[in-house]
Amino acid sequence: MPRTATYHTTVQWKGEHRGRILMGNGPEMEFSAPPDAQGHAGVLTPEDAFVAAVNTCVMMMFLWSAERFKLDLVSYECLGEGTKLIELDRTELFTQVLLRPRIVVRADEADRDGAMKRLRRAIDSAVKYSLVANSIKSKLVLEPEIIIVPQAVPAQ
Amino acid sequence: MANDSTGAIEFTIDKFIFRFPQNLRYSRDGLWVMQEGSVLRIGIADFVQQRNGDIAFATLIPAETNVKAGDEIASIETVKVNFSLPSPVSGKVVEINASLQNSPELINLEPYGKGWLVALQPADPEGDLGALMTAEAYSNWARQLAEAEMRS
Repeated sequence: MPRTATYHTTVQWKGEHRGRILMGNGPEMEFSAPPDAQGHAGVLTPEDAFVAAVNTCVMMMFLWSAERFKLDLVSYECLGEGTKLIELDRTELFTQVLLRPRIVVRADEADRDGAMKRLRRAIDSAVKYSLVANSIKSKLVLEPEIIIVPQAVPAQ
Repeated sequence: MANDSTGAIEFTIDKFIFRFPQNLRYSRDGLWVMQEGSVLRIGIADFVQQRNGDIAFATLIPAETNVKAGDEIASIETVKVNFSLPSPVSGKVVEINASLQNSPELINLEPYGKGWLVALQPADPEGDLGALMTAEAYSNWARQLAEAEMRS
């Protein structure tokens, strides 16, 4: 098993406070700073990318762990919120990333408690094994809303 | 390598600490065996449980089954991998840990306690136990495996 792997992105200045990014996995898009930091609206920002990296990584790891815990997932939606601190010397950092996933799982009434327990373990595992969550120094806070529905509810 | 406060042998690789109680015997597959009168209690050693991740399901062989050394006694599904555990000894399964059905995480939390797998009535207690490794021998073996993986 290889012990390391590498991932790449390439950025290029496009004039003013604008750039273009080519992701290693294919997508290409414009980016800027947020408007309150002399950037432009309507495009990717490093701040959004940071919060998105955590949110997407935890979700992908959750999908994997939900399969491993044999959960019948109906839906997953998660609001991610990064809190930026501006220090006295005007340096900035994300002190916290808050994730509020709303997770709906289908289960037999007889397995409701078991499904709930497996779901909570799947959430814990998603955070534990998330590459990005493991790589940030911000505090990661999860506030999941969990809903167990009976077998008759169709997948979304 | 060092002995911790309970007398178990332990070693550290990177940020991971692995413990091996000295009153147990170990198979190369990473199972521990404890003699309790005429019965042998079997579980998963700390090195194997840590290396394979959070356990989602543990399926045990039924009680009353006769097994030979090398026969599967448990299949484990973790968040990362599936693996099968061969019996370190021959004998008859006299008890299984029913708690693992709803709480397989006990193997991660208490690998040498509440996370035990099965208890066997051995066919040849002296011979079977004698063929297993001491804590010191197994910890050396586990360290070699861990170091080889870290180098790869």
